[in-house]
Amino acid sequence: MIVTKKRDFKELLDNIGNYRRVFLLGCSECAALCGTGGEPEVKAMKEALESEGKEVTGMFVAKSGCQVLGTKRELKPFKEFIERADCIVVMSCGAGTQTAVELYDKKPVFPANDSMFLANMTRLQVFDERCSLCGKCVLDKTGGICPITRCAKGLLNGPCGGSQGGKCEISPNMPCAWQLIIERLSRIGSLDNLDDIMLPKNWDPSLDGSKKEGK
Amino acid sequence: MKAGSNLEKVLEGGYFAVTAEVGPPKGTSPKVIQRKGELLKSYCDAMNVTDNQTAIVRMSSWSGCILLKEIGIDPVMQMVVRDRNRIAIQSDILGAVALGIRNVLCLSGDHQRFGNHPAAKGVYDIDSIQLVQTLKAMRDEKKFLCGEEISGEVPLFIGAVENPFADPFEYRVKRLAKKVKAGADFIQTQAVFDVIKFRKWMEMVRDQGSDKEVHILTGVIPIKSVGMARYMRDNVSGMSVPDEIVTRMEEAKDVKEEGVKISLEIIDQLKEIDGIHGIHIMAVAWEDIVPVIVEGAGLIPRPII
Repeated sequence: MIVTKKRDFKELLDNIGNYRRVFLLGCSECAALCGTGGEPEVKAMKEALESEGKEVTGMFVAKSGCQVLGTKRELKPFKEFIERADCIVVMSCGAGTQTAVELYDKKPVFPANDSMFLANMTRLQVFDERCSLCGKCVLDKTGGICPITRCAKGLLNGPCGGSQGGKCEISPNMPCAWQLIIERLSRIGSLDNLDDIMLPKNWDPSLDGSKKEGK
Repeated sequence: MKAGSNLEKVLEGGYFAVTAEVGPPKGTSPKVIQRKGELLKSYCDAMNVTDNQTAIVRMSSWSGCILLKEIGIDPVMQMVVRDRNRIAIQSDILGAVALGIRNVLCLSGDHQRFGNHPAAKGVYDIDSIQLVQTLKAMRDEKKFLCGEEISGEVPLFIGAVENPFADPFEYRVKRLAKKVKAGADFIQTQAVFDVIKFRKWMEMVRDQGSDKEVHILTGVIPIKSVGMARYMRDNVSGMSVPDEIVTRMEEAKDVKEEGVKISLEIIDQLKEIDGIHGIHIMAVAWEDIVPVIVEGAGLIPRPII
């Protein structure tokens, strides 16, 4: 899932600026789980905007805001509310926000959330980043633990000299990914996976290299 | 000879090498590096110029190396993968070789979060082992990482670092072996204070035969003050400073003298360990002490080859 975090309300108001009429669009998937764009949050946003003198022309929680066609279909009954609005505020991830941008070409669209990362939810609303969608998986070699995501330097041939007591040098709260990898490979009897030097990664299929074509 | 640098000649000649470290200034004056260079010139075989160490912006390593070269010192250009992608790295190497730099030390670099631009994007396009491998291919096959041909020779003496005090301890020697396999000609280690642990590490290094394949120079940091001893013990991850050393500093009448004494004792012990081919002195903000230590350790005159 995609973790989102509410943007500062003042920042959102600054974004909205002089637009008075707002349509609110939430998302029932990740944003709802994160508590940033489900039914209760959309309602709370409506009240907050109204208390700032805005008019909310309508609101809707899309099933999956990242599905462009599905969302388009779902929003058909809201046509006139959306038309009446000066702008749309999207309470989902950046993907959902850009669905609205694609569907409403002439309306300003503002994000209510910041999109953080692809996450595993370990407990209710406790998130951990384990995959960064780099486009070419190395988990087969690293015992199923991703160094690109979980090593602060993304090293393919770690650990660096800053690994101590199982922790990464950048934070006592962050485990050293390479310590985890070595422990796990030892447990499953595959430590020799690391004997070969992993070659420089082809970043082209990842967002770091160029835009993904998604085919 | 792979590069013909003074450092390579000293090490290949079987001498016990001495290298020192220079931190470039947070500014534009060449004098800082020139002064340190003149001061240490007769006391070491080569001088490392750090590359934005601790992720704090300073004068670039290659320009510091050129300043040293101009006064007759063999420079070791440190290069971290934190700030450059493979395009910039290879381009900088071509330029460095053109300007006469022969020794390059490959590091991953302190994480940008520690520095004075914590909002910077860390690059880490390739890692330090891949950097060693890249330089080896540039030198031996005259090829870029993409496989295209390089015009001209790329004489490099390739260095890497290793930290025997980082974890997991047992794996550190395997990682060293990987660096050797990647093409490292010499290794400079993290500073040693815990000689017992280091001796154990070297035993493992010898067991896997790496000491025969690469020149290992052990890091030495002279301790200038009690505060520095405590700081390194408590705050620097990947460092091991035994309490005994901190206590000695705390109880010393003359702390600087005690700091020198500790360094000399450590060097004496290191010289006895099989497979150590030299020392690398990192006198952070205390370069003036290097001559005292090198002389005290009986390591002058330096060989002229």
